[in-house]
Amino acid sequence: MLAVMALALFASAMLLCLTVSSAWAASPDAVELSADGRSARDGALTFAASDVHRMNKGTSKSYEGRSFGYRFPMTDAQSFTVVATSEAVIVHVPREVADRLRLDVEEASVQDGLMRLVRTVDDAIAHGGVPLSTLEVPTLFTTESSLLHGAYCYRFGVVVEPGSSYVCVEVAAAPSLSPSPSPSQEARAEAEEWSQAVPSADNQAAAGNDASAGALFTLSGRLLPVEEVVIQQPASGTDALWEFFYGIDYRPFWVSLRTSLAAMVFVFVLGLAAARLSLKMSSRLRDVLDSIFTIPMVLPPTVCGFLLLMAFGNSTELGRWFTAHGLSLVFSWQSAVLAAFVVAFPLMYRTARGAFEGLDPSIADAARTLGWSNARIFFRLTLPLAWPSIAAGTVLSFARAMGEFGATLFVAGNYAGVTQTMPLAIYYQWMGGRTDIAAFWVVVVILISFAVILLINWYASRTQRYRKPGLDKGGEKGA
Amino acid sequence: MSETKSAMTGKKRPRILVALAVALALAFGTCGNYGCAQQGPQENNPAGETPQKTELQIFAANSLEKALPQVQELYVQKNQGVTFADTQFKASGDLVEQIKAGATPDLLVTASAGSMDTASSNGSIDDATRKTMFENDLVLVCGTSSDVSIQSLSDVTRDDITAIAIGDGETVPAGQYANQALNTIGMYSDASGKGGSYDSSFEPKVRTASSVGNAAKYVESGDCQIGFVYSSDLYRYSGIKTAFTVPSSAHKPIVYPGAVLKSSANADAAADFLDFCLNDPDAQRVWSQYGFEVA
Repeated sequence: MLAVMALALFASAMLLCLTVSSAWAASPDAVELSADGRSARDGALTFAASDVHRMNKGTSKSYEGRSFGYRFPMTDAQSFTVVATSEAVIVHVPREVADRLRLDVEEASVQDGLMRLVRTVDDAIAHGGVPLSTLEVPTLFTTESSLLHGAYCYRFGVVVEPGSSYVCVEVAAAPSLSPSPSPSQEARAEAEEWSQAVPSADNQAAAGNDASAGALFTLSGRLLPVEEVVIQQPASGTDALWEFFYGIDYRPFWVSLRTSLAAMVFVFVLGLAAARLSLKMSSRLRDVLDSIFTIPMVLPPTVCGFLLLMAFGNSTELGRWFTAHGLSLVFSWQSAVLAAFVVAFPLMYRTARGAFEGLDPSIADAARTLGWSNARIFFRLTLPLAWPSIAAGTVLSFARAMGEFGATLFVAGNYAGVTQTMPLAIYYQWMGGRTDIAAFWVVVVILISFAVILLINWYASRTQRYRKPGLDKGGEKGA
Repeated sequence: MSETKSAMTGKKRPRILVALAVALALAFGTCGNYGCAQQGPQENNPAGETPQKTELQIFAANSLEKALPQVQELYVQKNQGVTFADTQFKASGDLVEQIKAGATPDLLVTASAGSMDTASSNGSIDDATRKTMFENDLVLVCGTSSDVSIQSLSDVTRDDITAIAIGDGETVPAGQYANQALNTIGMYSDASGKGGSYDSSFEPKVRTASSVGNAAKYVESGDCQIGFVYSSDLYRYSGIKTAFTVPSSAHKPIVYPGAVLKSSANADAAADFLDFCLNDPDAQRVWSQYGFEVA
């Protein structure tokens, strides 16, 4: 764990510095915005906004058989609400809140200040939705709990489920739908009164559908005295670095390691066995077997994945037979090992076979004249002599197993902590919009691959030193 | 000669054994200490070794990737003893195929009635539990700094639009809805949005994406000028904005059905979570923020 951290820390420091500095450059304003983009304050104002949420869609769902029009959730019953419509931006501050903060929402400075806070927050959380600041429509302010505007009636602080509050949009066609003149403090009672005012079920359904056109989106949040709102600044420097590394799920590293090491046990043993077996065969049979052993290296991994899924999955007779007999492999960590094994096996097999073939057969014959058994010849003579190539083959196939993507995705899926290896994590993190984490894994994989190649080169130059003429030990001895 | 060889052999042999031993020890060591320790609870629970703990595995449409985990978190807070396995967010068609191939989730949420119908005809889901969960809109998006102007659907045929990201109609419901809309302006041959082909003048512009999220990513990265995605996708990717909202009359209603799987060992818990998604006010707050209209 520590090793990964250190590796990653070193590698991603630069990457992160870039991200952090770009995040910092974006906040030179009189309005301070919190790191999560939900709170804003301005020292020049007596109030500040916190816990602001932008509701991009509402719902027409009825509750316990009653329709509430098209409703958007509010942060809580005491929240201010901004309703963006195609004709106006309606800002509602509950009268109690306005009184408590001693705000006169008719006053231009209060209106400007509030809108400045709301727009700053909205720019941070609009996420590609239409920003409030680009709407070129008049802004209306109210402290009443309902407002009639255009063809719609807007009701604020309506309790639907116990403890919840909504802004409800209704079509204000029927005269009976006009808002009650005096705003009641009892939101619940109001809601009941409201739903009784809506005439028939048919009208309710119709109104519910049309009402969704009465609002584009809403914003809702708390208004608090300025000194009560603490702005959580975005973490910076080493803190941001720590936050980044703390937030990363390191399981893909361990899954990769576990999967490829488990696969390597089989690859190593079976690869050597297959290579030795193929040497003992008649050349015609050997050619056929050799093609079978090598073909996963030539085939796209998706083909291997497909075949494995067909063989062990539930969609074919063969797969169902396997499942019925207790071999349920697909979408488990064993299947990731299987996929890694299939693609890494040919590399091991080919290098081992090449190494065995390169040995002088007369050495084995000489050993045989000394009465050595075949097993003894293999383990004490052939294997040690071929070891440099076999070692290189082992490392290469390990790297191949670690890099496996296509077949794993097919047959093992992408389950975090079970089958999600580093290559899968890179793709899925990127796809999920977390490019920085994808970049982190890219760096880790590059470093590992670099280390692997360096290891092979270093090992090869060490073990094959005796072949070089010159000042090495063998040369000196010979001279 | 033979002396040097045997000397060499003698020297090398332990190394091989050591290497093998290390490889084995590492493989099982890592498994024992780390991997399995983390994976253990996920692997063991479905087998029912710890009965009071229920682990739900959900397969959900790719577009729910940001919103659903938050609702899951709310559910875990309110329901002790229920945890979630790593939820799979893929193209609905992929999920249905994966279930057919042997994956065993408890709950499936797709982005089209069609994919759920396929799952139903495969015999994967319990039809009695099927519910319509959300409604969504199809939009054309462009990069946040882009000044592409789209006034009507037929603007996509303009010469200055050269690369359009569309989900693969075979597996990505958003791609099917987009193709249905393109069919209304004669740019796609099949009215169902699936199995047809693009008009030869339009085809060179099409960049097929393997999920609706990928379509959004192509636009975000600048590989495509515009792309067909759901309006809810705006709120899970940062670099895109709405260029045009496709009229809902141009495609079939976009609905997200959810259903409990027949093979689910935790069918009651899965049905309860489905109900929570639709009726809990805090869950409603999450859906609203991410642009899903609860049906």
